[in-house]
Amino acid sequence: MRGIRGISQLSRRFYAATQRDQPLTVPLPGIKVSAGAPHMYQDVHVTKLPSGLVIASLENYSPASRIGVLIRAGSRYETIDNLGVTHLLRLAASLTTKGASAFKICRGVEAVGGSLSVSSSRENMAYTVDCLRDHIDTVMEYLINVTTAPEFRPWEVSDLTARVKLDKELAKQTPQIGVIENLHAAAYKNALSNSLYCPDFMLGQITAEQMHTFVQNNFTSARMALVGLGVDHAVLKQVGEQFLNIRSGAGTVGSKAMYRGGELRHQSGGGLVHAVVASEGASATSAEATAFSILQHVLGAGPHVKRGSNTTSKLSQAISKVTAQPFDVSAFNANYTDSGLFGVYTICQYNAAKDVIKAAVSQVNDIAQGNLGAADLSRAKNQLTAEYLMSIESSEGLMEAIGSQVLAEGTYHSPESVTQKINAVSSADVVNVAKKFMSGKKTMTSSGHLVNTPFVDEI
Amino acid sequence: MASRAPAATSRLLVGFRKWYYNACGFNKIGLMRDDTLHEDSDVKEAVRRLPEQVYNDRMFRLKRALDLSMKQQVLPKDQWTKYEEDAHYLEPYLEEVVRERKEKEEWAKK
Repeated sequence: MRGIRGISQLSRRFYAATQRDQPLTVPLPGIKVSAGAPHMYQDVHVTKLPSGLVIASLENYSPASRIGVLIRAGSRYETIDNLGVTHLLRLAASLTTKGASAFKICRGVEAVGGSLSVSSSRENMAYTVDCLRDHIDTVMEYLINVTTAPEFRPWEVSDLTARVKLDKELAKQTPQIGVIENLHAAAYKNALSNSLYCPDFMLGQITAEQMHTFVQNNFTSARMALVGLGVDHAVLKQVGEQFLNIRSGAGTVGSKAMYRGGELRHQSGGGLVHAVVASEGASATSAEATAFSILQHVLGAGPHVKRGSNTTSKLSQAISKVTAQPFDVSAFNANYTDSGLFGVYTICQYNAAKDVIKAAVSQVNDIAQGNLGAADLSRAKNQLTAEYLMSIESSEGLMEAIGSQVLAEGTYHSPESVTQKINAVSSADVVNVAKKFMSGKKTMTSSGHLVNTPFVDEI
Repeated sequence: MASRAPAATSRLLVGFRKWYYNACGFNKIGLMRDDTLHEDSDVKEAVRRLPEQVYNDRMFRLKRALDLSMKQQVLPKDQWTKYEEDAHYLEPYLEEVVRERKEKEEWAKK
Protein backbone atom coordinates (compact mmCIF):
# COMPACT_ATOMS: atom_id res chain seq x y z
CA MET A 1 0.00 0.00 0.00
CA ARG A 2 2.77 2.33 0.91
CA GLY A 3 4.56 1.46 -2.29
CA ILE A 4 1.52 2.20 -4.51
CA ARG A 5 0.94 5.50 -2.78
CA GLY A 6 4.59 6.26 -3.40
CA ILE A 7 4.26 5.60 -7.15
CA SER A 8 1.17 7.80 -7.58
CA GLN A 9 3.01 10.61 -5.88
CA LEU A 10 5.99 10.29 -8.22
CA SER A 11 4.67 12.89 -10.66
CA ARG A 12 4.34 15.42 -7.85
CA ARG A 13 7.74 14.61 -6.40
CA PHE A 14 9.48 14.95 -9.72
CA TYR A 15 7.57 18.15 -10.64
CA ALA A 16 10.56 20.46 -10.20
CA ALA A 17 12.82 18.17 -12.21
CA THR A 18 10.38 18.10 -15.13
CA GLN A 19 10.42 21.89 -15.38
CA ARG A 20 13.81 21.78 -16.99
CA ASP A 21 13.48 24.70 -19.35
CA GLN A 22 12.25 27.09 -16.70
CA PRO A 23 15.03 29.20 -15.13
CA LEU A 24 14.96 29.16 -11.36
CA THR A 25 14.97 32.95 -11.30
CA VAL A 26 11.28 33.26 -12.18
CA PRO A 27 8.41 31.77 -10.20
CA LEU A 28 7.07 28.40 -11.37
CA PRO A 29 4.03 28.82 -13.64
CA GLY A 30 0.66 28.06 -12.16
CA ILE A 31 1.79 28.62 -8.61
CA LYS A 32 0.29 31.47 -6.64
CA VAL A 33 3.11 33.83 -5.71
CA SER A 34 3.05 35.27 -2.18
CA ALA A 35 2.82 39.02 -1.63
CA GLY A 36 6.47 39.58 -0.87
CA ALA A 37 7.80 37.45 -3.68
CA PRO A 38 6.98 39.46 -6.86
CA HIS A 39 9.85 41.88 -6.44
CA MET A 40 12.39 39.27 -5.50
CA TYR A 41 13.13 37.69 -8.82
CA GLN A 42 15.48 39.28 -11.27
CA ASP A 43 13.32 41.52 -13.41
CA VAL A 44 13.39 45.24 -13.72
CA HIS A 45 10.39 46.57 -11.81
CA VAL A 46 9.03 49.97 -12.81
CA THR A 47 6.47 51.89 -10.78
CA LYS A 48 5.13 55.33 -11.51
CA LEU A 49 4.06 57.33 -8.47
CA PRO A 50 1.11 59.75 -8.65
CA SER A 51 3.51 62.66 -8.42
CA GLY A 52 5.08 61.62 -11.71
CA LEU A 53 8.24 60.19 -10.21
CA VAL A 54 9.21 56.88 -11.83
CA ILE A 55 10.91 54.26 -9.73
CA ALA A 56 12.81 51.38 -11.28
CA SER A 57 14.78 48.69 -9.54
CA LEU A 58 16.50 45.45 -10.29
CA GLU A 59 17.45 42.99 -7.59
CA ASN A 60 20.62 41.48 -8.92
CA TYR A 61 21.85 40.04 -5.61
CA SER A 62 25.14 41.82 -6.08
CA PRO A 63 27.14 42.79 -2.97
CA ALA A 64 27.44 46.33 -4.27
CA SER A 65 24.38 48.47 -4.82
CA ARG A 66 24.00 51.42 -7.09
CA ILE A 67 21.28 54.07 -6.86
CA GLY A 68 20.76 56.91 -9.26
CA VAL A 69 18.49 59.91 -9.41
CA LEU A 70 18.01 60.93 -13.02
CA ILE A 71 16.42 64.22 -13.88
CA ARG A 72 15.35 65.67 -17.19
CA ALA A 73 17.45 68.77 -16.61
CA GLY A 74 20.26 68.66 -19.09
CA SER A 75 21.86 71.52 -20.91
CA ARG A 76 18.94 71.81 -23.33
CA TYR A 77 16.85 73.37 -20.54
CA GLU A 78 19.26 76.27 -20.03
CA THR A 79 17.93 79.65 -21.08
CA ILE A 80 19.93 82.34 -22.80
CA ASP A 81 20.48 84.07 -19.42
CA ASN A 82 21.92 81.14 -17.56
CA LEU A 83 24.01 79.32 -20.14
CA GLY A 84 26.47 77.13 -18.28
CA VAL A 85 24.36 76.57 -15.15
CA THR A 86 24.26 72.81 -15.73
CA HIS A 87 28.06 72.76 -15.83
CA LEU A 88 28.10 74.48 -12.45
CA LEU A 89 25.46 72.08 -11.12
CA ARG A 90 27.61 69.14 -12.20
CA LEU A 91 30.45 70.52 -10.11
CA ALA A 92 28.17 71.57 -7.24
CA ALA A 93 27.13 68.06 -6.26
CA SER A 94 29.65 68.03 -3.44
CA LEU A 95 28.68 71.39 -1.94
CA THR A 96 26.93 71.96 1.37
CA THR A 97 23.32 70.87 1.62
CA LYS A 98 20.69 71.50 4.26
CA GLY A 99 21.40 68.19 5.95
CA ALA A 100 25.14 67.88 5.62
CA SER A 101 28.11 70.12 5.03
CA ALA A 102 30.38 69.57 2.05
CA PHE A 103 33.03 68.13 4.36
CA LYS A 104 30.56 65.68 5.86
CA ILE A 105 29.30 64.50 2.48
CA CYS A 106 32.83 63.86 1.29
CA ARG A 107 34.00 62.10 4.46
CA GLY A 108 30.71 60.30 5.04
CA VAL A 109 30.64 58.77 1.58
CA GLU A 110 34.32 57.85 1.81
CA ALA A 111 33.85 56.32 5.26
CA VAL A 112 31.51 53.64 3.88
CA GLY A 113 33.65 53.09 0.81
CA GLY A 114 31.06 54.48 -1.56
CA SER A 115 31.22 57.05 -4.27
CA LEU A 116 28.99 59.89 -5.40
CA SER A 117 29.17 61.03 -8.99
CA VAL A 118 27.27 63.28 -11.35
CA SER A 119 27.05 63.12 -15.07
CA SER A 120 24.93 65.15 -17.39
CA SER A 121 24.05 65.03 -21.01
CA ARG A 122 22.15 67.42 -23.18
CA GLU A 123 18.88 66.02 -21.86
CA ASN A 124 19.42 64.37 -18.49
CA MET A 125 21.32 64.82 -15.32
CA ALA A 126 22.24 61.74 -13.32
CA TYR A 127 23.38 61.68 -9.70
CA THR A 128 24.67 58.22 -8.81
CA VAL A 129 25.88 56.66 -5.59
CA ASP A 130 27.29 53.21 -5.22
CA CYS A 131 28.47 51.37 -2.17
CA LEU A 132 28.21 48.05 -0.42
CA ARG A 133 24.70 46.81 0.11
CA ASP A 134 24.80 47.25 3.89
CA HIS A 135 25.60 50.93 3.80
CA ILE A 136 23.03 51.96 1.24
CA ASP A 137 21.00 53.95 3.82
CA THR A 138 23.88 56.29 4.57
CA VAL A 139 24.70 57.13 0.99
CA MET A 140 21.04 57.35 0.03
CA GLU A 141 20.63 60.08 2.65
CA TYR A 142 23.47 62.06 1.07
CA LEU A 143 22.04 61.49 -2.40
CA ILE A 144 18.62 62.82 -1.36
CA ASN A 145 20.27 65.82 0.28
CA VAL A 146 22.26 66.66 -2.82
CA THR A 147 19.36 66.35 -5.24
CA THR A 148 16.60 67.97 -3.20
CA ALA A 149 18.15 70.36 -0.70
CA PRO A 150 21.35 71.97 -1.96
CA GLU A 151 22.21 75.33 -0.42
CA PHE A 152 24.53 76.79 -3.06
CA ARG A 153 26.34 79.09 -0.66
CA PRO A 154 27.69 82.08 -2.61
CA TRP A 155 31.30 81.63 -1.55
CA GLU A 156 31.25 77.92 -2.40
CA VAL A 157 29.75 78.67 -5.81
CA SER A 158 32.39 81.28 -6.60
CA ASP A 159 35.08 78.81 -5.59
CA LEU A 160 33.79 76.57 -8.40
CA THR A 161 34.99 78.96 -11.10
CA ALA A 162 38.50 77.49 -10.96
CA ARG A 163 37.09 74.00 -11.47
CA VAL A 164 35.01 75.14 -14.42
CA LYS A 165 38.13 76.55 -16.03
CA LEU A 166 39.96 73.28 -15.41
CA ASP A 167 37.12 71.30 -17.01
CA LYS A 168 37.19 73.51 -20.08
CA GLU A 169 40.95 73.24 -20.41
CA LEU A 170 40.76 69.47 -20.20
CA ALA A 171 38.04 69.46 -22.84
CA LYS A 172 40.26 71.53 -25.13
CA GLN A 173 42.85 68.77 -25.08
CA THR A 174 40.42 66.51 -26.98
CA PRO A 175 39.50 68.04 -30.34
CA GLN A 176 36.56 65.64 -30.69
CA ILE A 177 34.72 67.33 -27.84
CA GLY A 178 35.04 70.74 -29.44
CA VAL A 179 33.89 69.43 -32.80
CA ILE A 180 30.79 67.74 -31.37
CA GLU A 181 29.87 70.82 -29.33
CA ASN A 182 30.21 72.93 -32.47
CA LEU A 183 28.15 70.40 -34.39
CA HIS A 184 25.24 70.85 -32.03
CA ALA A 185 25.64 74.62 -31.98
CA ALA A 186 25.57 74.70 -35.78
CA ALA A 187 22.78 72.17 -36.25
CA TYR A 188 20.16 73.57 -33.89
CA LYS A 189 18.65 76.96 -33.21
CA ASN A 190 17.88 76.37 -29.53
CA ALA A 191 17.76 73.79 -26.74
CA LEU A 192 20.11 71.17 -28.18
CA SER A 193 22.50 73.86 -29.38
CA ASN A 194 23.47 74.67 -25.78
CA SER A 195 26.92 73.42 -24.98
CA LEU A 196 27.63 71.01 -22.15
CA TYR A 197 30.37 73.35 -20.97
CA CYS A 198 30.02 76.82 -19.54
CA PRO A 199 30.69 79.43 -22.26
CA ASP A 200 33.70 81.69 -21.73
CA PHE A 201 31.68 84.83 -21.22
CA MET A 202 29.70 83.22 -18.39
CA LEU A 203 32.74 82.18 -16.36
CA GLY A 204 32.26 83.54 -12.87
CA GLN A 205 28.91 85.07 -13.81
CA ILE A 206 26.60 82.28 -12.72
CA THR A 207 25.19 83.17 -9.31
CA ALA A 208 23.78 80.97 -6.58
CA GLU A 209 20.32 82.46 -7.23
CA GLN A 210 20.45 81.31 -10.85
CA MET A 211 21.37 77.83 -9.73
CA HIS A 212 18.52 77.81 -7.20
CA THR A 213 16.08 78.98 -9.86
CA PHE A 214 17.21 76.32 -12.29
CA VAL A 215 16.81 73.61 -9.65
CA GLN A 216 13.39 74.94 -8.61
CA ASN A 217 12.16 74.97 -12.18
CA ASN A 218 13.63 71.75 -13.47
CA PHE A 219 14.21 69.32 -10.63
CA THR A 220 10.54 68.44 -10.27
CA SER A 221 9.06 65.06 -9.40
CA ALA A 222 7.43 64.58 -12.78
CA ARG A 223 10.82 64.79 -14.46
CA MET A 224 12.73 62.56 -12.11
CA ALA A 225 13.45 58.86 -12.02
CA LEU A 226 14.87 56.91 -9.12
CA VAL A 227 16.75 53.83 -10.28
CA GLY A 228 18.28 51.21 -8.03
CA LEU A 229 20.41 48.16 -8.76
CA GLY A 230 20.68 45.74 -5.88
CA VAL A 231 18.05 47.47 -3.76
CA ASP A 232 14.60 46.42 -2.70
CA HIS A 233 11.81 47.98 -4.73
CA ALA A 234 9.66 48.65 -1.69
CA VAL A 235 12.48 50.56 0.00
CA LEU A 236 13.03 52.69 -3.09
CA LYS A 237 9.33 53.38 -3.37
CA GLN A 238 9.20 54.57 0.22
CA VAL A 239 12.18 56.85 -0.33
CA GLY A 240 10.61 58.21 -3.49
CA GLU A 241 7.29 58.94 -1.81
CA GLN A 242 8.75 60.53 1.29
CA PHE A 243 11.71 62.51 0.06
CA LEU A 244 11.56 63.13 -3.66
CA ASN A 245 8.13 64.75 -3.59
CA ILE A 246 9.03 68.27 -2.62
CA ARG A 247 8.73 69.87 -6.00
CA SER A 248 5.70 68.73 -7.90
CA GLY A 249 4.55 69.62 -11.34
CA ALA A 250 6.36 69.57 -14.60
CA GLY A 251 8.46 72.68 -14.11
CA THR A 252 9.32 74.82 -17.09
CA VAL A 253 8.53 73.20 -20.38
CA GLY A 254 11.61 72.96 -22.54
CA SER A 255 11.37 74.25 -26.06
CA LYS A 256 11.27 71.89 -29.01
CA ALA A 257 14.64 71.58 -30.68
CA MET A 258 14.61 73.19 -34.12
CA TYR A 259 17.08 71.82 -36.62
CA ARG A 260 18.57 74.44 -38.89
CA GLY A 261 21.66 72.94 -40.50
CA GLY A 262 24.68 75.23 -40.55
CA GLU A 263 28.41 75.25 -40.63
CA LEU A 264 31.10 76.08 -38.09
CA ARG A 265 34.80 76.02 -38.91
CA HIS A 266 37.51 76.31 -36.28
CA GLN A 267 40.91 77.05 -37.72
CA SER A 268 43.38 75.85 -35.13
CA GLY A 269 46.42 74.81 -37.13
CA GLY A 270 48.19 71.52 -36.59
CA GLY A 271 48.50 68.69 -39.04
CA LEU A 272 45.09 67.07 -38.78
CA VAL A 273 41.52 67.93 -39.70
CA HIS A 274 38.57 66.72 -37.66
CA ALA A 275 35.33 67.05 -39.61
CA VAL A 276 31.72 65.97 -39.16
CA VAL A 277 29.10 66.07 -41.87
CA ALA A 278 25.68 65.37 -40.40
CA SER A 279 22.02 65.70 -41.12
CA GLU A 280 18.90 65.38 -39.01
CA GLY A 281 18.47 61.84 -37.77
CA ALA A 282 15.77 60.11 -35.75
CA SER A 283 14.54 60.79 -32.25
CA ALA A 284 15.05 58.02 -29.69
CA THR A 285 11.42 56.92 -29.78
CA SER A 286 10.80 57.13 -33.51
CA ALA A 287 10.45 54.07 -35.69
CA GLU A 288 13.60 54.90 -37.61
CA ALA A 289 15.90 55.04 -34.61
CA THR A 290 16.94 51.40 -34.85
CA ALA A 291 17.43 51.69 -38.60
CA PHE A 292 19.80 54.62 -38.08
CA SER A 293 21.75 52.63 -35.50
CA ILE A 294 22.05 49.75 -37.93
CA LEU A 295 23.15 52.10 -40.70
CA GLN A 296 25.76 53.42 -38.31
CA HIS A 297 27.16 49.93 -37.84
CA VAL A 298 26.92 49.12 -41.54
CA LEU A 299 29.10 52.13 -42.25
CA GLY A 300 31.46 51.47 -39.38
CA ALA A 301 31.27 52.60 -35.77
CA GLY A 302 34.78 52.26 -34.48
CA PRO A 303 37.31 49.45 -34.83
CA HIS A 304 36.49 46.10 -33.27
CA VAL A 305 39.97 44.63 -33.53
CA LYS A 306 42.86 46.63 -32.15
CA ARG A 307 45.47 47.62 -34.69
CA GLY A 308 43.47 45.81 -37.35
CA SER A 309 42.65 46.99 -40.83
CA ASN A 310 38.96 47.67 -40.03
CA THR A 311 37.75 45.59 -42.99
CA THR A 312 34.15 45.57 -41.82
CA SER A 313 33.83 49.33 -41.87
CA LYS A 314 32.60 50.38 -45.28
CA LEU A 315 33.69 53.95 -44.63
CA SER A 316 37.23 52.83 -43.83
CA GLN A 317 37.42 50.76 -46.97
CA ALA A 318 36.08 53.58 -49.12
CA ILE A 319 38.52 56.13 -47.74
CA SER A 320 41.55 53.86 -47.91
CA LYS A 321 41.04 53.90 -51.69
CA VAL A 322 41.52 57.67 -51.91
CA THR A 323 44.38 58.22 -49.50
CA ALA A 324 47.35 56.25 -48.26
CA GLN A 325 47.95 58.51 -45.26
CA PRO A 326 46.66 57.66 -41.79
CA PHE A 327 43.02 58.50 -41.16
CA ASP A 328 40.13 57.51 -38.97
CA VAL A 329 36.45 57.53 -39.78
CA SER A 330 33.31 56.56 -37.99
CA ALA A 331 29.59 57.02 -38.44
CA PHE A 332 28.07 59.39 -35.88
CA ASN A 333 24.59 58.82 -34.48
CA ALA A 334 22.85 60.71 -31.71
CA ASN A 335 19.25 60.32 -30.59
CA TYR A 336 17.41 62.81 -28.41
CA THR A 337 13.80 62.91 -27.33
CA ASP A 338 12.58 65.05 -30.20
CA SER A 339 15.37 65.01 -32.73
CA GLY A 340 18.60 63.32 -33.69
CA LEU A 341 21.78 63.69 -35.67
CA PHE A 342 23.36 61.25 -38.06
CA GLY A 343 26.56 61.71 -40.02
CA VAL A 344 30.16 60.76 -40.61
CA TYR A 345 33.11 61.86 -38.49
CA THR A 346 36.49 61.89 -40.22
CA ILE A 347 39.99 62.56 -38.94
CA CYS A 348 42.64 62.87 -41.60
CA GLN A 349 45.77 64.76 -42.71
CA TYR A 350 44.99 68.30 -43.76
CA ASN A 351 45.99 67.94 -47.42
CA ALA A 352 43.73 64.91 -47.92
CA ALA A 353 40.69 66.41 -46.19
CA LYS A 354 38.69 67.15 -49.34
CA ASP A 355 39.11 63.63 -50.78
CA VAL A 356 38.45 61.91 -47.48
CA ILE A 357 35.25 63.81 -46.67
CA LYS A 358 33.92 63.40 -50.19
CA ALA A 359 34.69 59.67 -50.16
CA ALA A 360 32.93 59.23 -46.80
CA VAL A 361 29.77 61.00 -47.94
CA SER A 362 29.71 59.20 -51.27
CA GLN A 363 29.93 55.88 -49.40
CA VAL A 364 26.72 56.76 -47.58
CA ASN A 365 25.26 57.78 -50.93
CA ASP A 366 26.22 54.37 -52.27
CA ILE A 367 24.06 52.74 -49.62
CA ALA A 368 21.26 55.20 -50.29
CA GLN A 369 21.23 53.99 -53.89
CA GLY A 370 20.39 50.54 -52.57
CA ASN A 371 23.78 48.80 -52.56
CA LEU A 372 23.34 47.08 -49.24
CA GLY A 373 24.32 43.44 -49.15
CA ALA A 374 22.54 40.97 -46.88
CA ALA A 375 25.86 39.97 -45.32
CA ASP A 376 26.59 43.57 -44.37
CA LEU A 377 23.12 44.00 -42.91
CA SER A 378 23.32 40.92 -40.74
CA ARG A 379 26.85 41.81 -39.69
CA ALA A 380 25.67 45.26 -38.62
CA LYS A 381 22.71 43.80 -36.73
CA ASN A 382 25.01 41.43 -34.86
CA GLN A 383 27.42 44.23 -34.02
CA LEU A 384 24.64 46.49 -32.74
CA THR A 385 23.08 43.70 -30.67
CA ALA A 386 26.45 42.76 -29.21
CA GLU A 387 27.25 46.38 -28.40
CA TYR A 388 23.96 46.89 -26.58
CA LEU A 389 24.08 43.64 -24.66
CA MET A 390 27.70 44.16 -23.65
CA SER A 391 26.95 47.69 -22.49
CA ILE A 392 24.30 46.51 -20.05
CA GLU A 393 26.62 43.95 -18.52
CA SER A 394 28.31 46.53 -16.33
CA SER A 395 26.34 48.19 -13.57
CA GLU A 396 27.09 51.68 -14.94
CA GLY A 397 25.83 50.72 -18.38
CA LEU A 398 22.78 49.01 -16.98
CA MET A 399 21.95 51.98 -14.76
CA GLU A 400 22.25 54.30 -17.73
CA ALA A 401 20.12 52.08 -19.95
CA ILE A 402 17.37 51.63 -17.37
CA GLY A 403 17.50 55.28 -16.32
CA SER A 404 17.32 56.82 -19.77
CA GLN A 405 14.54 54.49 -20.93
CA VAL A 406 12.49 54.96 -17.79
CA LEU A 407 12.94 58.72 -17.86
CA ALA A 408 12.05 59.09 -21.52
CA GLU A 409 9.29 56.52 -21.88
CA GLY A 410 8.30 55.37 -18.39
CA THR A 411 9.05 51.71 -19.17
CA TYR A 412 12.04 49.48 -19.55
CA HIS A 413 12.49 47.34 -22.67
CA SER A 414 14.03 44.00 -21.90
CA PRO A 415 17.11 42.98 -23.88
CA GLU A 416 15.01 40.38 -25.69
CA SER A 417 12.61 43.00 -27.02
CA VAL A 418 15.52 45.23 -28.07
CA THR A 419 17.11 42.32 -29.95
CA GLN A 420 13.79 41.60 -31.65
CA LYS A 421 13.46 45.22 -32.70
CA ILE A 422 16.94 45.14 -34.20
CA ASN A 423 16.27 41.93 -36.11
CA ALA A 424 13.00 43.29 -37.45
CA VAL A 425 14.71 46.04 -39.42
CA SER A 426 14.83 45.28 -43.14
CA SER A 427 17.30 46.27 -45.79
CA ALA A 428 14.75 48.69 -47.25
CA ASP A 429 14.50 50.54 -43.91
CA VAL A 430 18.25 51.06 -43.81
CA VAL A 431 18.35 52.25 -47.42
CA ASN A 432 15.52 54.68 -46.64
CA VAL A 433 17.31 56.26 -43.73
CA ALA A 434 20.46 56.55 -45.82
CA LYS A 435 18.36 58.40 -48.41
CA LYS A 436 17.03 60.62 -45.61
CA PHE A 437 20.59 61.50 -44.67
CA MET A 438 21.57 62.31 -48.23
CA SER A 439 18.51 64.46 -48.90
CA GLY A 440 18.43 66.29 -45.58
CA LYS A 441 19.95 69.71 -45.00
CA LYS A 442 23.55 69.11 -43.99
CA THR A 443 25.43 70.47 -41.03
CA MET A 444 29.21 70.52 -41.01
CA THR A 445 31.84 71.35 -38.44
CA SER A 446 35.55 71.12 -38.89
CA SER A 447 38.60 71.88 -36.81
CA GLY A 448 42.31 71.83 -37.54
CA HIS A 449 44.27 73.15 -40.50
CA LEU A 450 41.41 73.92 -42.84
CA VAL A 451 43.21 75.01 -46.00
CA ASN A 452 41.97 72.04 -48.01
CA THR A 453 38.67 71.38 -46.24
CA PRO A 454 35.53 71.87 -48.34
CA PHE A 455 32.56 73.92 -47.18
CA VAL A 456 29.26 72.15 -46.63
CA ASP A 457 27.89 73.26 -50.00
CA GLU A 458 30.94 71.94 -51.83
CA ILE A 459 30.52 68.32 -50.79
CA MET B 1 32.77 89.54 24.04
CA ALA B 2 30.19 87.06 25.25
CA SER B 3 27.34 86.61 22.83
CA ARG B 4 25.07 84.81 25.21
CA ALA B 5 21.76 86.60 25.77
CA PRO B 6 21.13 86.96 29.51
CA ALA B 7 18.15 85.13 30.88
CA ALA B 8 16.56 88.30 32.20
CA THR B 9 17.43 91.48 30.30
CA SER B 10 16.79 93.81 33.21
CA ARG B 11 17.11 97.54 32.81
CA LEU B 12 20.18 97.41 35.03
CA LEU B 13 21.95 94.97 32.77
CA VAL B 14 21.08 96.89 29.62
CA GLY B 15 22.22 100.12 31.26
CA PHE B 16 25.53 98.54 32.19
CA ARG B 17 26.02 97.20 28.72
CA LYS B 18 25.37 100.57 27.12
CA TRP B 19 27.81 102.25 29.52
CA TYR B 20 30.45 99.63 28.73
CA TYR B 21 29.90 100.00 24.96
CA ASN B 22 30.41 103.74 25.14
CA ALA B 23 33.37 103.35 27.46
CA CYS B 24 35.13 101.10 24.91
CA GLY B 25 35.35 104.10 22.66
CA PHE B 26 35.53 102.45 19.22
CA ASN B 27 32.14 103.91 18.41
CA LYS B 28 33.70 107.36 18.55
CA ILE B 29 35.69 106.61 15.39
CA GLY B 30 32.66 105.07 13.68
CA LEU B 31 33.39 101.35 14.11
CA MET B 32 31.06 98.47 14.96
CA ARG B 33 31.92 95.66 17.37
CA ASP B 34 32.57 93.14 14.62
CA ASP B 35 35.05 95.50 12.94
CA THR B 36 37.27 95.29 16.00
CA LEU B 37 37.53 91.50 16.24
CA HIS B 38 41.07 90.21 16.19
CA GLU B 39 41.64 88.67 12.77
CA ASP B 40 42.56 85.06 13.40
CA SER B 41 42.04 82.43 10.71
CA ASP B 42 38.36 81.89 11.60
CA VAL B 43 37.57 85.60 11.38
CA LYS B 44 39.51 85.92 8.12
CA GLU B 45 37.44 83.10 6.57
CA ALA B 46 34.20 84.64 7.86
CA VAL B 47 35.15 88.02 6.37
CA ARG B 48 35.91 86.31 3.05
CA ARG B 49 32.34 84.99 3.03
CA LEU B 50 30.66 88.33 3.57
CA PRO B 51 28.36 89.55 0.78
CA GLU B 52 29.97 92.28 -1.28
CA GLN B 53 27.93 95.17 0.11
CA VAL B 54 28.57 94.29 3.74
CA TYR B 55 32.27 93.79 3.02
CA ASN B 56 32.55 97.17 1.32
CA ASP B 57 30.85 98.89 4.27
CA ARG B 58 33.28 97.22 6.66
CA MET B 59 36.28 98.33 4.59
CA PHE B 60 34.96 101.88 4.50
CA ARG B 61 34.52 102.01 8.27
CA LEU B 62 38.01 100.62 8.85
CA LYS B 63 39.56 103.10 6.44
CA ARG B 64 37.74 106.01 8.08
CA ALA B 65 38.81 104.84 11.53
CA LEU B 66 42.46 104.53 10.48
CA ASP B 67 42.33 107.99 9.00
CA LEU B 68 40.88 109.49 12.18
CA SER B 69 43.42 107.63 14.28
CA MET B 70 46.24 109.05 12.21
CA LYS B 71 44.88 112.57 12.59
CA GLN B 72 44.30 111.98 16.34
CA GLN B 73 40.66 113.03 15.90
CA VAL B 74 37.23 111.59 16.63
CA LEU B 75 33.97 111.93 14.74
CA PRO B 76 31.41 114.55 15.74
CA LYS B 77 29.14 113.19 18.50
CA ASP B 78 26.13 112.77 16.21
CA GLN B 79 28.08 110.37 14.00
CA TRP B 80 29.20 108.01 16.77
CA THR B 81 27.84 104.45 16.33
CA LYS B 82 24.93 103.98 18.74
CA TYR B 83 24.55 100.84 20.86
CA GLU B 84 21.14 100.12 19.29
CA GLU B 85 22.47 100.48 15.73
CA ASP B 86 25.45 98.19 16.21
CA ALA B 87 24.72 95.16 13.98
CA HIS B 88 26.63 91.97 14.73
CA TYR B 89 26.89 91.28 11.00
CA LEU B 90 29.80 88.90 11.20
CA GLU B 91 28.35 86.66 13.90
CA PRO B 92 26.38 84.20 11.73
CA TYR B 93 29.31 83.72 9.35
CA LEU B 94 31.77 83.32 12.21
CA GLU B 95 29.57 80.78 13.96
CA GLU B 96 29.33 78.77 10.75
CA VAL B 97 33.10 78.84 10.27
CA VAL B 98 33.72 77.69 13.83
CA ARG B 99 31.10 74.95 13.50
CA GLU B 100 32.76 73.67 10.32
CA ARG B 101 36.20 73.71 11.93
CA LYS B 102 34.88 71.78 14.93
CA GLU B 103 33.26 69.23 12.62
CA LYS B 104 36.58 68.69 10.83
CA GLU B 105 38.34 68.24 14.19
CA GLU B 106 35.71 65.72 15.30
CA TRP B 107 36.26 63.67 12.15
CA ALA B 108 40.02 63.90 12.53
CA LYS B 109 39.76 62.34 15.98
CA LYS B 110 37.97 59.24 14.64
